[in-house]
Amino acid sequence: MTRLAGGLIDRSQTLDFTFDGKSFKGHPGDTLASALLANGMRLVGRSFKYHRPRGVFAAGSEEPNAMVELRTGAWREPNTRATMVELFDGLEASSQNRLGSLRHDLLAVNDLFAPFFAAGFYYKTFMWPKAFWERLYEPMIRRAAGLGSLSMQPDPDTYDKGFLHCDLLVIGGGAAGLAAALTAARAGASVILADEDFRLGGRLNGESHSLDDMPATGWINSLEAEFASLPNLRIMRRTTVFGAFDHGIYGAVERVSDHLAAPGAGVRQTLWRITARRTVLAAGATERHVPFANNDRPGIMLAGAMRTFANRFASCPADRVAIFTNNDDGHRTALDLSAKGIEIAGVIDTRDGAKVFGSYPLFAGAAVTNARGRLGLKAIDVTVDGRTQTLRCGALGVSGGWNPNVHLASHHRGRPCWDNGLQAFLPGEDLPAGMIVAGAAKGEGTTHSALNSGASAALQALADLGLSASRPRLPQAEDAPTNLKPFWHVAGKGRAWVDFQNDVTVKDIKLAHLENMRPVEHLKRWTTLGMATDQGKTANVTALAVMAELTGKSIAETGTTIFRPPYTGVSLGVLGGGDTGKNFRPSRLTPTHQWASANGAVFTEAGQWMRAQYFPRVGETTWRETVDREVLATRSGVGICDVTTLGKVDVQGTDAAEFLDRIYANKMASLIPGRVRYGLMLREDGFAYDDGTCARLGEDHYVVTTTTAQAGPVYRHMEFARQCLWPELDVQLISTTDAWAQLAVAGPNSRRLLERIVDEFDLSNPAFPFMACAETTVCNGLRARIFRISFSGELAYELAVPARYGNALMERLIEIGADLGATPYGTEALGVMRIEKGHAAGNEINGQTTAQMLGLARMVAKGKDAIGAVMSRREGLAGDSRVLVGLQPVDPAEPVVPGSHLFSPGAAQTTANDLGWVTSACHSPNLRSSIGLGFLAGGGERMGEEIIAANPLQNQSVRLRVVSQHFVDPEGGRLRD
Amino acid sequence: MTDLIPISALGSREPAKLQHGVLTIAENPDLGLASLALRRGDCAPDLGVKLPGPGGWVSGEGIGAFWIGPDQWMIEGQGRASADFLHQVSRLAPGCSVTEQTDAFVDFEITSQEGGAPVRALMEKLVNIDTAAFGPGRATRTRLEHMSVFIIRRAEDRLAVMGMRSLAGSLWHALQTAARRLNHE
Amino acid sequence: MLIPHPLLGLRDAQEFTYLGDAALLDRPDGLAADAEASFADYVYLRNNPAGVHRELWFHEHGDRSWLIVKRNTVTHEILGAELARDVALASRGEAQ
Repeated sequence: MTRLAGGLIDRSQTLDFTFDGKSFKGHPGDTLASALLANGMRLVGRSFKYHRPRGVFAAGSEEPNAMVELRTGAWREPNTRATMVELFDGLEASSQNRLGSLRHDLLAVNDLFAPFFAAGFYYKTFMWPKAFWERLYEPMIRRAAGLGSLSMQPDPDTYDKGFLHCDLLVIGGGAAGLAAALTAARAGASVILADEDFRLGGRLNGESHSLDDMPATGWINSLEAEFASLPNLRIMRRTTVFGAFDHGIYGAVERVSDHLAAPGAGVRQTLWRITARRTVLAAGATERHVPFANNDRPGIMLAGAMRTFANRFASCPADRVAIFTNNDDGHRTALDLSAKGIEIAGVIDTRDGAKVFGSYPLFAGAAVTNARGRLGLKAIDVTVDGRTQTLRCGALGVSGGWNPNVHLASHHRGRPCWDNGLQAFLPGEDLPAGMIVAGAAKGEGTTHSALNSGASAALQALADLGLSASRPRLPQAEDAPTNLKPFWHVAGKGRAWVDFQNDVTVKDIKLAHLENMRPVEHLKRWTTLGMATDQGKTANVTALAVMAELTGKSIAETGTTIFRPPYTGVSLGVLGGGDTGKNFRPSRLTPTHQWASANGAVFTEAGQWMRAQYFPRVGETTWRETVDREVLATRSGVGICDVTTLGKVDVQGTDAAEFLDRIYANKMASLIPGRVRYGLMLREDGFAYDDGTCARLGEDHYVVTTTTAQAGPVYRHMEFARQCLWPELDVQLISTTDAWAQLAVAGPNSRRLLERIVDEFDLSNPAFPFMACAETTVCNGLRARIFRISFSGELAYELAVPARYGNALMERLIEIGADLGATPYGTEALGVMRIEKGHAAGNEINGQTTAQMLGLARMVAKGKDAIGAVMSRREGLAGDSRVLVGLQPVDPAEPVVPGSHLFSPGAAQTTANDLGWVTSACHSPNLRSSIGLGFLAGGGERMGEEIIAANPLQNQSVRLRVVSQHFVDPEGGRLRD
Repeated sequence: MTDLIPISALGSREPAKLQHGVLTIAENPDLGLASLALRRGDCAPDLGVKLPGPGGWVSGEGIGAFWIGPDQWMIEGQGRASADFLHQVSRLAPGCSVTEQTDAFVDFEITSQEGGAPVRALMEKLVNIDTAAFGPGRATRTRLEHMSVFIIRRAEDRLAVMGMRSLAGSLWHALQTAARRLNHE
Repeated sequence: MLIPHPLLGLRDAQEFTYLGDAALLDRPDGLAADAEASFADYVYLRNNPAGVHRELWFHEHGDRSWLIVKRNTVTHEILGAELARDVALASRGEAQ
């Protein structure tokens, strides 16, 4: 077949493209489907299950058959609808779901075994023997089934996202959508008009009739000129609104550069989140077909699509075509094709006494009963009054009426309602809030009624918003009824396809009926009807009409399934929103990150934070060697660690003390200014929540710290207490975590080191004892806070300066502390030292443990109403005998494995005998063995006993000695030094 | 004056600045910041500017303020990052709860050479805020690429984005990427 | 979803963190004689209605206000929102 005359293609340019390696030519304005048809390619794919030869069936996004793999290499995208691919120069496409060539697909053997693959086949066949499922059946099915294949390479494209807000979102740029957008935009409302096509106009582009005496394209062009002058209107072409979400939020994908040969560095697609005050759904309608035997032959397509290909794309699958219809709209295709010089073999109309509209053979009261031509239609059988004749034709257009595109109207579970007059499902009353449906999507399918209903919908939406508008003058347009008479399928013996993409036939529906899978939801799942990538856009209504016929119920009684997002497939890449790899999520850097990087630190992720884990030196061969050195250097000299990541909350107000007393289980009000106290927070259910320090900087000013991981949740919890529980208290909160660079300076030489940088500040023990805090200056006038607190168990301080100075301070301390052994340490050494000291951390305060278990029960103050105090005293918690203990291997060469469970020696390792578990473990360079912390039932009485740590996952069983959790300096002499 | 040399939030001596098309994004390390909260039942102090209501930002002689929560504002002092801005604000607002915030945030100032449209286009790619209702004098905290940020429309053609200082690199990446894409680079 | 913030207007729900039943405002007196029983109810017993529900939402990426949002859990329709602080004060009979 060669090109027809006319059409909206640009013949001044020629585009070269390939399909299955063969070269073809097309023009700008073509889709891949129209260009293939213009090149005489009727066979473009193979079906999902039976590998039947298939051709282009539709002209839009409802296409079930013509799915191709587009582009090559990492850019290859399977299951791309050829009808939606805008042709570009150099386009490479290939057919999919075949073994061998498209014409000689070896898996076509499946078609011979079709009797075995009937509905419910999988449920029945692969049930036995059970063991075969994973080893045989599933791999076999996965190989045979499915459509296109993935490139198995990372997606090389760039995706973007964005947020839009508008008064009115118009979904669909056909007659109704254009009228709605025009009405609203002229009224000054902010309007977004989105359409999945690259050209505005919708079906108007596929029709030959005129608007006011000019071609529809003329009217559209004049509108576009006006639209361009309206800054309050945003036209989004190539944009599919794929989902309606709560409260007027819509998801849309804009195909920014899919139509370009090389996406290059640009964005391929953009995901838009559109918040609309009102929405006009003008998504149009999808034509339905009429199943008959072998109706899936390449060359058989929807009659309206055939008309679109001829009028808009100047292409036709054959030069002699027939039409099969149950309404007047099918005749329109015959007339338009005829006007383009296509020979009409005949119009087969199921209606008795159907009228002829032009000079073509009419078969009234007739049906198409078979189709011939395996790789492309050659002839059809036409049966009238029991007599069958064969009609030679290369293509057949089928029209069974139009189904309104109600999808988005039912995304909030709204049920479409059957309209007997229109013989179609219309959007029901329970639409998503703020949505109004217009045009063919609500059954107003003539151009005249679509235009008017679009304008009316916009007026209604604007009135809802309190905006005044006037109805624009709309052009005169056709308004002819289609005079449809229901005809759902041609009865007969051969297989008649209903759902092309999932290979569901009328027979399958009959089988489902026989097997009592009659409700539409069961029908769908038993036959897989409508469950392919096209969601059965051309199949669903026909299928349930067939089921209605079988059950003897009306279609209204049979009902319909509803739709979920997405309207059409959305790539995961664009849903991901763009950033991948290290930019997939934000990361937080500490103030000393530059210095740590420059000094060879290895970093670890702690939530969003990147923290220095350890600082390897030249010659160190294992991380353990490095960590051991850092620990020993700290305990013998001085170590410095960035602890900025701990959450810091500034608490002020005349009732700050009272507030903190209620937040913390222990007493805080009695803390005097200039002192710090360890604080334990409980959850209201009595379990331990978080711990940290609370420093009283002034009479009504505190700064509290949280653990790194809980900084956000604890702040939220504190705001909850402040706003919801005790709003009468005068207290103000704000996070200051990032404002200060905070460095832990720990070790016997820490005081000597700090004395070198403080400005006239007395660090001596009497002046600044353990748990003191002060605001002062360091390094000649730099604002600083000093806290004498210790996580390592050594004489230690934490020093805070404005964050921008943290890096320089770190550098300075290491430099001037060289003679004192100043050593940077990371989170590993930090962890080792806190385990050696027996301090609880996240492993111990994990949401399942209590103050009692942590050995801190005495901290839960009586006589005050603190969060969690009451519940912490209930029998089940207070009576828990599991307490934190230290654990050391009896054989020092053996490891303590965190997560191991604890059992008495000789006891069966069962849940009933479980005595607790190991929470934390490390190698202690001071004890020269592995050590651990754990919760052990009756732990207090088991000091010195042996216990078994079992790790059944790795078949490990280690004998441990129960010891004090304070492995180092149990009396705490060092930190008070 | 301390002899320690500060670094910018992005980790260098000099503040970052770049241009994509008509948009310029510049790190502003000189902005002094302090949060101010009223004690319960107190009236707003006189800082030389009238503290704005919800969603607002005002600026006066060398001082600006934006609303960050009920009875709570962020006070801005342009060029006062290295001064002791906390105490300057505390002196102006006795009896209020004032907290040092200068280094808690990184401030990126975005300017357009061609009026407000490029600023709105950039906002549409970054934040779920209705640009039509976010004209000059508006400020809010919102979400940007999973980060909490303050955005301030300082003028039709000027937008400030403030994020947590530790997230400066990720925020810079987000702003830069969006600006670059708008410029089709 | 969009949450109608009493001070800031409609804001996307992604700016918020959800907590649950607004009954959490009614914290029992921890020093009362029957505190343990009333806390057991407070901590563990929640209504989970299919229909209108009063819920706590925190404007995490916003003004850090806790809101009480009245939402229909079946339709997601939101019937209103108040500052939790105002509600808590009102329940104490205090001026806001």
